[in-house]
This record gives sequence, structure tokens and C-alpha cells, in this order.
Amino acid sequence: MNVYEVFLKKQGKDEFRHVGSLEAANDELAIVLARENYVRRAEGELMWVVDRDHVLVGDEEFIAPNADKPHRHNDGSLVAERRRAGRAGSDESDESGAM
Amino acid sequence: MTALGPAERAVLLAFADDEHLMGQRHTEWIGVAPFLEEDLAFASIGQDELGHAAMLYELVIADLSGETPRAEAVDALAFRREPADYRSCWLVEAACTEWASALVRHWLYDTAEALRWGELAGSSEEHLRAIAGRAMSEERYHLRHADALLDALAGDADAGARIAAALTEMLPLGVALFDEPLGSDGAVESVVGRPLAALAPEWRAAVDRRFGQREWATVEPVVQDGRTLRSAPFETVYADMREVIMLDPDATW
Repeated sequence: MNVYEVFLKKQGKDEFRHVGSLEAANDELAIVLARENYVRRAEGELMWVVDRDHVLVGDEEFIAPNADKPHRHNDGSLVAERRRAGRAGSDESDESGAM
Repeated sequence: MTALGPAERAVLLAFADDEHLMGQRHTEWIGVAPFLEEDLAFASIGQDELGHAAMLYELVIADLSGETPRAEAVDALAFRREPADYRSCWLVEAACTEWASALVRHWLYDTAEALRWGELAGSSEEHLRAIAGRAMSEERYHLRHADALLDALAGDADAGARIAAALTEMLPLGVALFDEPLGSDGAVESVVGRPLAALAPEWRAAVDRRFGQREWATVEPVVQDGRTLRSAPFETVYADMREVIMLDPDATW
């Protein structure tokens, strides 16, 4: 038996998402069984079934150094802070500005 | 709405009973199929067959009453008849406690079933055409499932021997599926399609393509007497499928 990974895509702009795996004796059975095991309630419109042996795996060590690069994360806090400061400044001018 | 006469109703009721019993028998594999993925797939196929049965029962009742059938009326037809009033064939009544038998029966039945729905797909009755279209789309999957399993097992000597033995056991029941149900003589072909006997040659040719050429004259069909006789295994499946409804026959569901 081979292990297969199953991916489904819903209608619209959603990407294919991994939904699970299954064991099957061959490719045809994998497709046939994936249909009833993962799409029996029309959970997706399109289905990919991939033999796990055909998945290219990047090993953990190869990826790990990128875990320590906070400067690549833009959570928007710097921009938010500048905008807050800007608003505070204009509020003050509103209060002082006599009409 | 009396588009169907008694003969056409007899044809459709026998088909409904076949679908009902087949669905019931398939679902018995829940939890005990050879592997997890097959467990769910096979039960799903059984569920489809039960759905086909429900569509046919509803159509027969609606035709008689002229109204949309209530669930109680469908249940009455599906569960509350006496055994002698069912018109199922023995192929779908068989217990098939060995997986090889269940698998071979699945292929034999679905191949015949696809031929029967193919006839109804050309019906002059819009209702029949509609449900046949839906059933046909499901049958394509059922047959692909059965063929995929048989293909996967074909190379294995032990599996091959089991399948051959199951086929020998099932064929006398399979050929009897094409026995006309009592009261179906003269059913209008433009409504329900050709009689079952006319579909048998196509089915036998498909069996030969799948399992190899055989001498059909040596296959002695079981005697069902216009499908009025129930086989021995019917008793237990009848009790099982009525177990809940008979706990309180007057309950409203």
C-alpha cells in the first residue's frame, strides 16, 4: 500500500488545501477512495491526490535559520505608531486653532 | 397523474426492492471492510443505492396517490410489507459474508443496475428520466470503484482464486436478476425500457469481458418464481432492517 496526500480546492479564489491522507494499493484506487473519504459532502470542487513519495521535502535544518529574522515580519506596528503620532499632532492644532 | 399502469409499477417496484436490499447489504460492511478507506467508500455506495430505492418508492407512491408522498408512505412500502410481497432478486438478498463475494456481487449488481438505469434514462416520463440521470452519474463511480478493486487484486494468486470461487457462487443468482417480476408482462417499453430479459445478453458479455469467457448454458439460475419467493438469507436482513421501526410500529418519526 502507498500513502497518498489529498488536496481540495473550493470554488473561487481559495487555493488547494491539504485535507488529509489515505492508503491505497495504486493510483486509480487512491483517486477512487479519496472521492468517498474526503469529498463525500462536496467539500471541494477540484481534487489533487499525490503519492507521498512524489512530494519533494525540504529538510528542517535547511529551513530553520529563517526562524530568527524578525525584520522580515511587517506587523504594521511602526506605521501604526507614526499615524497615531500624526493624528495626535493634528488634534492639538484643532484645539488651539481659534475659528 | 396515472402515467404508470400496474405492469410498469411492478417493474419499478422490483427495481426499488433490489436497490433497497443491495444498499442494506452493502452497509453491513461498516466497520469490517478490509481496510479503513474501503470501509467508508463501500458504505457510501450502499447509501447511494438506498437513495435510488427511495426515489423509486416515492415515484411509485406519487403515481398512485397523485400527491407528494409522505415519509410514512415510503417507509410502509420499504419496511412494512410481508416478505412474500417484496420483489427483490436473490443476488441482493444474499449475505455475502466473505469480502470476495461482496466485491463480486457489487460488480455484478452495479453492471446490471447501470443497464437498468440506462433504459429508464430514455423514458417518456420526465420524472423517471430525471432520477435515472442522477442515478447514472453515481453508477459511473460505483463501477469505477468495483473495477479498480478487481484490477488491483487481479495479479494476486490467492485473491484470484477467491474471486473465481465467489463468481461461481454468485453467477446463478446473477443471471436470475433478469427474471421478470410477477405482473410486469406487457409493461410499456417507452416508459420503463426493455424487459430485463432483453438486457441479460449485454450483462453476460460484460461479465465475459471482466472475468473471462464462460459457458453460460452451464450456469443454472436460481428459481425465484417471478421474484415472489424469498431466499433463506432474506429472513435475517428483513429482521435487521426493520429492527428499529418495529420497536414501536405506531411511532411518528
